[in-house]
Amino acid sequence: MSDLINVLVFGLLLGGIYGLVSIGLNLIFGVVRIVNFAQGELVMLGMYGSYYAYTQYGLSPYVSVFLVAPAVGLLGMAIQRLVIQPLHNESNMQIFATFGLLMMFENIMLMISRGEAKSIGGDVGAEVVTLGDMKFSLVRVVTLVAVTLITIGLHFFLSRTMMGKAIRAVTQDKRAARTMGIHVERTYLFTFGIGAALAGMAGAMLTPIYSITPTVGGNFILAAFAVVVLGGLGSVWGAYWGGLIVGVVEALAGFYIDPVLRSAIWFLIFLVVLVVKPAGLLGQVGAEEVGFREQH
Amino acid sequence: MASTNKVLMTYLFCMALAALPMLLLADDAHWLNILAFTYLMGGLAAAWNIIGGFGGQFSLGHGVFFAIGAYLTAQGVIRFGWSPWLTMWPIAAVAALVAVLISWPTFRLRGPFFAIATLAFNEVAFVLANHFDSFTGGPRGLMIPFKAGFAQMIFRDRWQYALLMFAFVALVVGISVWLRRSRLGYYLLAVREDEDAARASGINVLSVKLRGMAISAFLTAMGGTLFTMYLRFIDPPTLFTLPEVGVKFALLALIGGIGTIAGPLLGAALIVPFENTLRAEMANALPGLNLAVLGLLMVLAALFMKRGIVGAFEDARKRWLGQKGDMP
Amino acid sequence: MSQAMLQVKNASKHFLGLKAVDAVSLAVHPGEIVSIIGPNGAGKTTFFNLLTGQLAPASGEVLFEGQAINPLPPHARARLGMGRTFQISKPLIALTALENVMIGAFLRDAPLSVARDKAMVVLEKVGLARLAMRRAGDLTLSERRRLEVARALALQPKIMLLDEVMAGLNQSEVGQAIELLQGLHAQGLTFLIIEHNLKVVRAFSERVVVLDRGRHIAEGSADEILNSPAVIQAYLGDGHMGKGGTDVQPGSVTAGARA
Repeated sequence: MSDLINVLVFGLLLGGIYGLVSIGLNLIFGVVRIVNFAQGELVMLGMYGSYYAYTQYGLSPYVSVFLVAPAVGLLGMAIQRLVIQPLHNESNMQIFATFGLLMMFENIMLMISRGEAKSIGGDVGAEVVTLGDMKFSLVRVVTLVAVTLITIGLHFFLSRTMMGKAIRAVTQDKRAARTMGIHVERTYLFTFGIGAALAGMAGAMLTPIYSITPTVGGNFILAAFAVVVLGGLGSVWGAYWGGLIVGVVEALAGFYIDPVLRSAIWFLIFLVVLVVKPAGLLGQVGAEEVGFREQH
Repeated sequence: MASTNKVLMTYLFCMALAALPMLLLADDAHWLNILAFTYLMGGLAAAWNIIGGFGGQFSLGHGVFFAIGAYLTAQGVIRFGWSPWLTMWPIAAVAALVAVLISWPTFRLRGPFFAIATLAFNEVAFVLANHFDSFTGGPRGLMIPFKAGFAQMIFRDRWQYALLMFAFVALVVGISVWLRRSRLGYYLLAVREDEDAARASGINVLSVKLRGMAISAFLTAMGGTLFTMYLRFIDPPTLFTLPEVGVKFALLALIGGIGTIAGPLLGAALIVPFENTLRAEMANALPGLNLAVLGLLMVLAALFMKRGIVGAFEDARKRWLGQKGDMP
Repeated sequence: MSQAMLQVKNASKHFLGLKAVDAVSLAVHPGEIVSIIGPNGAGKTTFFNLLTGQLAPASGEVLFEGQAINPLPPHARARLGMGRTFQISKPLIALTALENVMIGAFLRDAPLSVARDKAMVVLEKVGLARLAMRRAGDLTLSERRRLEVARALALQPKIMLLDEVMAGLNQSEVGQAIELLQGLHAQGLTFLIIEHNLKVVRAFSERVVVLDRGRHIAEGSADEILNSPAVIQAYLGDGHMGKGGTDVQPGSVTAGARA
């Protein structure tokens, strides 16, 4: 029984990580309506960025996140402006473009790091928090707390601020939003920036947890797709709960069946949701509409 | 519209041109190797092009069919000594069947989501290949011992492999030509352009997609067979690494001209030698350079050259001749 | 009275609680031209989609030549003889005009040369033969609409369902289009059209059906309908009068007009 609780808690903590990585992706999906294959790479860049800040300047990732996240956010805006915007109605070419970015980022980091895995290791990552006779990694708990706070923060941002409302309007109906005077392209730019910054933030917070390799982004992207689809496109809370569910399911399957099945789990979730209830749990827009409902 | 004879002549002429390098490089083992790979990748890109270019369904999971061809062929040879010439065909049929089974639920997903699903298939297949090591040799892979002989499809000389690969690309391109002029080919184009309009025109969209996918998977698996008999060593990373396999097929088609007949082979002719050189010169100094460059090319092609080399030629020709193609 | 070619019985469709089509019944007999009119949002295109199979009705039946076709998908209905055009025209952009029509022709004939020849004949019929090798993406709006009609014609349909095929055309283009459609009708084709342009309705309809907010509110000859107070109310109430001019004026309500 305590095994089960352990697994469940581990799953929740894992789910927190997934949620963190997926929130930015979900925002971008919902608004810009594109599949950003390179999202995982933005997380990876965030990880390398905060690693660098740690080794060069001794900054804890929880501090450098305030530098790393905006930096990645700016990169995201550049990507949106230079690569995504010109392809705005060509979903097939977007696949090529964002996958190409994936390959570029991954391999440029490979060239720079020469394939050595880096890790912050030891001190920061090893702390545990004890609850009864169960031990949990502190950084993972912090991450879960962080993603909860971030989700709440985003929720308020989207419902209370002008830009947030603009984002929600564009998510629901681009054409109507335009006629209401909302500058759609600028909203895209901003949203991509936020989505990228969230990815960078995720990277910084994951630095104490995972060892950093150029391919670490690829490890997350499939899970992130599953989370986003399960939670529902365009829904910030969807990404949050979706992340937790995916984490728990993966932990359970890993414990009771075989850990190597992770990617199969993500894939099954992805497929089942899209076939059974494409809108996901809390989706604003149906998954089958993304990229093909003609919005002019 | 061209007559059948004219099309046939054009095809034979172009294939003869494509075969020329084999004669010119007959003695250079290094370049014959690159040539063989160019033909093979060209054929694989052309196979992808059938569903990706004609049909507009961007599968990133063709590595799965490639691997089916590879693993089944290898086991056939290693365990039973079966000749790949014979096993190639039923194995490809198995791949086609698998393709239909996995595409059936996923074809209802559109555009990027279909791509993600195929990506996920590739990922799952990779995990399975590592796991079922009694069949696949797991992470250590499978090795086919060298035993030269035509029946074994193992040749001593590079030029024989080059010829084999050339036959493969000639076959795939020939099938593409035939398909493009058939009802199924036109239906694939219609599905690509507008599914609703296709349905209103009496086209069973799902059936057309499945048939296109089956043909594409069949030919891709054949490529997997040939690859296996050439390298005589396969392992999961070799077969499932997307930028090397599944995505590369699509990339070559894109650069050459997606949806065209000549595009895939042209793309291969441009990229394979180039990448080979990059890898050979720089691999030690800068690991991953070749893939970073390919990634950049992909982005640039998607932005600026979406109709590829063939498209660029057609644009130039139109400007030169000032035609819109009207009838007198 | 000959058996109806297309019969709809109490078809309904709702989206999220909103009744887009509310128990609409309709019959179209062989050789007839029936128009569907109504203010924007009346559910006309949704109704069409129920007929062509793009959407499934929540309740009600659709019969084609006596056969219940509710379970049939759009491509099967095309095969049965229903040709359709779309409100926002959908040419197959990268293909030539000829290839576009061939896509339709292939339904009846698989060999390339046969399909091509038949497609050429159809292109001549609609007056686009000169543009056969032109890329569909390079055609003007009027040409695209013609092309879509041609593609549907190549199916050798028994009935043509045209959704606002005149939208966006200028006066002379509308005139040419009406001529084309009248010619096709004279050759035995049945028509069910959605139209906003009441001049077209007057020139090219035997019977007019009026939908408003998903409900069938009136049916009759063009004269009867365009002078009916209920219809005028439906249009005026929404502030829409249709494109291309209309003869409907408040003062033309006559005492004997049918409601």
